Amino acid sequence: MTVSSQVKQTLASLKNTQSTLRFYSTQSQNKEAKLAYDEALKVTKDIIKDLENRLKTLEFEEPQYKGY
Amino acid sequence: MKDWIEILLRSLSLFFLALALTRIMGKKQLTKITPFYFIVYSVVAILSALISANIIKSLVFGFIALAVWALLPLVLDYMSLKSKTLHDWIHGRETILIKQGKIMEENLKQVRLTGEELLRDLRSKNVFNLADVEFAVLESTGEINVLLKSDKKPVTARDLERKIGPQSEPQTVILDGNILDEPLSTMGLNRSWLNKQLESMGLSLDNIFIGQIDSSGDLYVDLFDDCIQLPQPKVKEMLYANLEKTQADLLGYALQTEDTKAKAMYSNNADKLEKTIQKLKPYLLH
Repeated sequence: MTVSSQVKQTLASLKNTQSTLRFYSTQSQNKEAKLAYDEALKVTKDIIKDLENRLKTLEFEEPQYKGY
Repeated sequence: MKDWIEILLRSLSLFFLALALTRIMGKKQLTKITPFYFIVYSVVAILSALISANIIKSLVFGFIALAVWALLPLVLDYMSLKSKTLHDWIHGRETILIKQGKIMEENLKQVRLTGEELLRDLRSKNVFNLADVEFAVLESTGEINVLLKSDKKPVTARDLERKIGPQSEPQTVILDGNILDEPLSTMGLNRSWLNKQLESMGLSLDNIFIGQIDSSGDLYVDLFDDCIQLPQPKVKEMLYANLEKTQADLLGYALQTEDTKAKAMYSNNADKLEKTIQKLKPYLLH
């Protein structure tokens, strides 16, 4: 498995995590819990952005693996 | 009028009157009332029985006695709400039996409680060792309540210095196969959400005995058919595992990559995620 496909896998699982977090942040009745979920949501958003940027560089460096 | 008709009518009217009276007289538990209230309840019960069995011939006299015994306690209750001295006078005050680990023998004598009785009552509160007791008090209902020494108290999350996610009361939304709308709307959810949840669990509504939603919105159901094995909601544990896996992945990439900028980005993000995981842990794992 190439590095870029590994990173893609992590990215996918992180996006899955993000959607679950969003689900709980809307569903939680407790304000404190909601806040914690929201904060986690923001962190995952940042990381997803970083990973996507990194993927772009990787694909630029190894264009033969693009799309895998 | 025939005798049996009279007794039938008296009994019927007394039956509903007694029902109404006990509703008015409040929600006090019979095991937790003061001796005075025990007498009040007994007199009301006996009076109603006597009237209904036609032993007290005159209905008017019977009802007057019943009214006094049923309504006067109510009046006293309302007055004792207003005045503390009256409250103490009616209900009595609690007596301190053990203070700072020492038995107050004077007070014990005052409430006519022997050492054996004190020990028995402590044992019924699961306290076998007198040395564990910091404070004990005899309530006016005759019940003994105990405060243990702080090192003998059950451990709480605070003692362990662990943060626990707050959990409020769950709402029962399905009972006997019927959806209860009021608790559902208290949670801010509706029938179509519930139907979707049931559909995803592969269940039909009429097979569910009890369904509860906890404060984070997870549905737990108990089925009539106990042979069916149900997956319990494990979404939060999965979420936690996913977060940890992502964090481990990021750390791995940070080690693998040669690019210093990417290395910094990966380890920075791994750190951030680690902190978030620690913050979320009390909410996800409990």
